[in-house]
Amino acid sequence: MKEIVILSGKGGVGKSSLTAALAHLLTENGKYRLTLADTDVDAPNLHIVLGAEFDRSTGVTASNKAIIDYDKCSRCMNCVSACAFDSIIGTEEPVIISYSCEGCGVCSLVCPEEAVSVHPVENGQINFVTSGTVRVVAGALGIGESSSGRLVDIVKRQARQEASLSGCDLLLTDGPPGIGCPVIAALKGADYAILVSEPTPSALSDLQRITEVVQGFKIPAGAVLNRSDMDPQSAQTTRDWLTGNELPLLGEIPYDPYLPQALARGNLGVKMYPDAPSSLAIKKLHKVVEGLLE
Amino acid sequence: MNKRLHPEIIRHFHNTPFSTPIIGITGGKGGVGKSTVAVNLAAAFVAQGKRVALVDADVDAPNDSLLLGIPLENPQPVTIMQPIFDSAQCTDCQKCVKACQMNSLFRPKEKSITLMGECNGCEACYLVCPAGAISQGSHSVGTLYKTKRGKLTLYTGALQPGLAESALIVNAVGDAAFADAELFDIILVDTAPGTHCNVIGALKGARHVLAVTEPTPLGSHDLELILSLLDMFSIQRSVVINRANLPGQKEKVEQAAQAASAAIAAEIKLDKDLLAGYLEGTPVVDLLPNSAAAEIFLKMTDYLTATYLSPHNQTQQEQQL
Repeated sequence: MKEIVILSGKGGVGKSSLTAALAHLLTENGKYRLTLADTDVDAPNLHIVLGAEFDRSTGVTASNKAIIDYDKCSRCMNCVSACAFDSIIGTEEPVIISYSCEGCGVCSLVCPEEAVSVHPVENGQINFVTSGTVRVVAGALGIGESSSGRLVDIVKRQARQEASLSGCDLLLTDGPPGIGCPVIAALKGADYAILVSEPTPSALSDLQRITEVVQGFKIPAGAVLNRSDMDPQSAQTTRDWLTGNELPLLGEIPYDPYLPQALARGNLGVKMYPDAPSSLAIKKLHKVVEGLLE
Repeated sequence: MNKRLHPEIIRHFHNTPFSTPIIGITGGKGGVGKSTVAVNLAAAFVAQGKRVALVDADVDAPNDSLLLGIPLENPQPVTIMQPIFDSAQCTDCQKCVKACQMNSLFRPKEKSITLMGECNGCEACYLVCPAGAISQGSHSVGTLYKTKRGKLTLYTGALQPGLAESALIVNAVGDAAFADAELFDIILVDTAPGTHCNVIGALKGARHVLAVTEPTPLGSHDLELILSLLDMFSIQRSVVINRANLPGQKEKVEQAAQAASAAIAAEIKLDKDLLAGYLEGTPVVDLLPNSAAAEIFLKMTDYLTATYLSPHNQTQQEQQL
């Protein structure tokens, strides 16, 4: 089984739409079997793009947090000064700011009363979603929570298990934006990374940053230029940068007003408007991805 | 999973040691136009003669400098504590290995503690070592920049690619701007996408938050998430609908806003002038100050000025909290 992850550095360039369209095309006529992982745990949207049915969901414990036993606490405030993350505050008694607590346990080490301890807490969930023959394993971090990296690890582990149990050819991962911990977790174990960009200076800057991460982990990668006709000059700058950095351009997708229309109806552009310019471009790209699977 | 926050946490969140108002720009989802709104608001405030600090707190993908067309200046490393092990002092008790909740310490052979994984600088290992075999080194996790152009000062941070600790950079870039707060009439903070701890960290102290969204099913879904986050922290909020004329589901965005008692602060249509400014690295407010797009931002600053920059309203705000 191959593992491909779709990343971009920048948000909103079309990772989820592309993931969903590729999944549809690859599984059409039963050619490939695949499992999808939605690792954008802050804004898991793949199911919306797919118009998929909700299956079941389980709570996930992906974080450790400090908890104070106020019966034992002597209000010495040692924990407040020891916390390197400013996650314990308070004037009369210490209060733990749960959302920024890293669960490092320094507070419990400095507490003379053994009143502070570190416990695993539920901070997110994993949703199992079905769309046709495709199973989607999607992580959703609780609002205002931390430790998205660890939740992504859990999502990927679950998705890998699903994929291998059902004899899939491919685990396709829709990655989160950025370059931080959830991105690194989404990337781990991938055979190939597809980097989605668009022709703007910001998207190029973010593409450069994500490329540095992907190359740092020595994962082979190629790029897709979405909304490629938005600005010819920026598009050419991006193409030149890709050539200079030996990143193959896997495909270009033109801006297409049919896409948001399909999305608004909870359907895929490639399904609803198969002959639209974007659909034709994605079909071409899907052949390239098939090549990666051979 | 909305839990009740301790009142002390909410107070701490809203507490700032200065009176300069902070306005946050966030949105839940990536790519909806947070940075476009942030840089144009900054430019609009400057056009009205205000001294503005713009904080780019999306340290994974900081783009405000590109959109403003100003290069980054005054780089400063952001460092955290990193343990240095002295094998001569080490008694091989391995208390440090047990104390490390990140499981980043490894002992391949006797008296050879090695840092193998990520280190967030919590100092647990240093604290538990009975032999004084661990000393506090430092390690750079990113860079902070401060660039001044006339009445606008941009504070940006960038996470070192390959590292995970965005939160530390977000705090560092905020702290840098807050240290200079008295020099400004207003502080604007542009956050990362999402609803996680980094977004909250970036919005600390915000008097008002603009949630930028777009009229797609993804936009309304993510707007609901970010609005409930703002609600948890009792933050004044309103919604900016970007690409408002996209064929989509604007009514769902409006419903989400209404359900969270957030007004629609502005609607921005797909606009060639705005896109031109974006591509060129000049806010449309500066590039085409008479355009329809520029007018929207100038109008937004009028509202924010009237509500948050007049001394009378400031006291009212404080009384409310």
